[in-house]
Amino acid sequence: MPAYHSTFLVDPNNDRMVGNFAIMPLNTKYRGPAYPANSDYDIVDECLDLFRANSFFKNFEIKNQADRVLIYGILFINECLAHLKPNTSMNEAIKILTNVALDDFSLPGTPGFPLNAVYSVPIQDHNSMELLKSYIQQLRQELSMRLLNRLYADTQERPSKYWLGFTRRRFMNKSL
Amino acid sequence: MNLNPAVVMDNGTGLTKLGFAGNDSPSWIFPTAIATASPSGNKKTGSSATSSSVSGSGTNGSNGSSNPYFGNSTSATNFGGLTGGKMLLSNNLAGKRGTEDLDFYIGNEALVAAQSPSYSLSYPIRHGQVENWDHMERFWENSIFKYLRTEPEDHYFLLTEPPLNPPENREQVAEIFFESFNCAGLYIAVQAVLALAASWTSSKVIDRSLTGTVIDSGDGVTHVIPVAEGYVIGSAIKNIPIAGRDITEFIQSLLRERGEADTSLRTAERIKQEYCYVCPDIVKEFNKFDRQPEKFAQFIVESQEKTKQKVVDVGYERFLAPEIFFNPEIASSDYLTPLPTVVDQTIQACPIDVRKGLYNNIVLSGGSTMFKDFSRRLQRDMKSIVNARISQNEKMTGVKSSGVDVQVISHRKQRNAVWFGGSLLAQTAEFRGYCHTKRDYEEIGPEIVRNFSLFNVM
Ligand SMILES: Nc1ncnc2c1ncn2[C@@H]1O[C@H](COP(=O)(O)OP(=O)(O)O)[C@@H](O)[C@H]1O
Ligand SMILES: [Mg+2]
Repeated sequence: MPAYHSTFLVDPNNDRMVGNFAIMPLNTKYRGPAYPANSDYDIVDECLDLFRANSFFKNFEIKNQADRVLIYGILFINECLAHLKPNTSMNEAIKILTNVALDDFSLPGTPGFPLNAVYSVPIQDHNSMELLKSYIQQLRQELSMRLLNRLYADTQERPSKYWLGFTRRRFMNKSL
Repeated sequence: MNLNPAVVMDNGTGLTKLGFAGNDSPSWIFPTAIATASPSGNKKTGSSATSSSVSGSGTNGSNGSSNPYFGNSTSATNFGGLTGGKMLLSNNLAGKRGTEDLDFYIGNEALVAAQSPSYSLSYPIRHGQVENWDHMERFWENSIFKYLRTEPEDHYFLLTEPPLNPPENREQVAEIFFESFNCAGLYIAVQAVLALAASWTSSKVIDRSLTGTVIDSGDGVTHVIPVAEGYVIGSAIKNIPIAGRDITEFIQSLLRERGEADTSLRTAERIKQEYCYVCPDIVKEFNKFDRQPEKFAQFIVESQEKTKQKVVDVGYERFLAPEIFFNPEIASSDYLTPLPTVVDQTIQACPIDVRKGLYNNIVLSGGSTMFKDFSRRLQRDMKSIVNARISQNEKMTGVKSSGVDVQVISHRKQRNAVWFGGSLLAQTAEFRGYCHTKRDYEEIGPEIVRNFSLFNVM
């Protein structure tokens, strides 16, 4: 059993895409271009569910369009964990992760992004790139806040050491 | 004619299993380790507590079972009662082999002695085969005189060997057992064949056949060995570089990543043996831990003086550790083939007419197959590999297959299956007829042990 894949179906001919990055629906209050998901479970939940298992895998073969969003989400969770310490309280973590989510980030498929063999986006198309940027911004905000719920499920005083233990693991041997 | 029970010795890479035929389990289990006086170590002036007690008074004649070092081990590298100043038993036994250098210790005593600089520790068996014959001879000598406390001329011996052991190695064994120890008779059995015999205790096994696929996983290596009618199909054997020690090290790395209070190998190995199990699916299992916090556990490490305690939390390693058999990628970057795939490849490499028997009698053996639900997962994964191939063949040929019955056998004697199989065979009335005796050896020479007839006890 190799690494886990996304179970969401994305049809590149009918669903929204920027290059090969799917603009998948999200359940979120953050502003942005995502459509609301038509079920409770969205790609953010899936990223959080698969993060721990997939962190152990260095090989990952993309099997469907949603896998590219999954990769981004898992690498971003790892980035969030790297900013927390064993004694960071939930209140501090909210501030820290809000900043991490809003920080400057490079877009998949553009120079400087670590996994460009996987992503291809129309760099020349200004509108598409703006859409991608605001979507990923929205994804980062929603993901970081839902991650907090998992990290502080037991106590608001410190993050779960079981989650924090994954900081040094690298899905696909990469980090954002 | 003597009627003493035969001695059964299974010298594993990690642990030696030692006892008498007819018994249910070995009387002694201890590390296959020897501590010998370091050539440079000036032990006469050694100042450490260990070295002074090593040369201290002998407790000759003490009852073996009351000696703390003689208790059964489950670890090849750690001894529960490791403390610097404990007394070691004198080697001055009955003056049997009086003039030789007896300055060495085996088993748990070796682990303790090696804490002092005057002794160095070594493991004479590597990957199942004897690497250092001098150390091995001394290890056997101590096993007989200090543990079994018997006279070898009064006993027949059953020893075990790994698959594909070179015949020269067997001759070496014969030389030592007949010439140095003067044993009455000797039989050397292939470990996998004994493991098959041990599985006859399972209620799932009805026909007591010596056909099956043995998965023997110990401390250093995992072998997958197909056996047809008692003969190992040597060309199809596969080795997997994942076994007990790798699992322990993986647990250690997880404990370190979490910054646990004690991340020693000793603690990691105990956690492995006491808390780990095989799960059906790791993503679902992670979620289970979220929903059922009682799945997390705590392991208490006591200091040697039992005055301080360290608490080690036990988490996902409970199911991740044995997962490396099924998903090696999670712990290694160079070995990636899952165990069920290797077993399937092994059987596919055998002649077509024996494959059926190999699929429906997959037998587990050795300490590292002891994880809960190991057999269940292996059976499920093997079934899906086999069924996928069958349906592909059916599509290609249009011929409906009659199916292949995959059955993995797990049983109560699995942990020391090789020893137990030896105990079963060596207790039979026929056993001695299959042994080579001291007289045969003297008449024909060491090459006599190149062949042993297989024997059937059905
Ligand atoms: N209950 C258990 N669960 C998991 N591993 C175990 C258990 N008991 C023993 N082991 C491991 O089994 C290994 C020893 O197995 P064994 O078959 O005796 O090896 P060998 O014959 O190669 O010396 C060690 O790595 C030990 O930690
Ligand atoms: Mg063994």
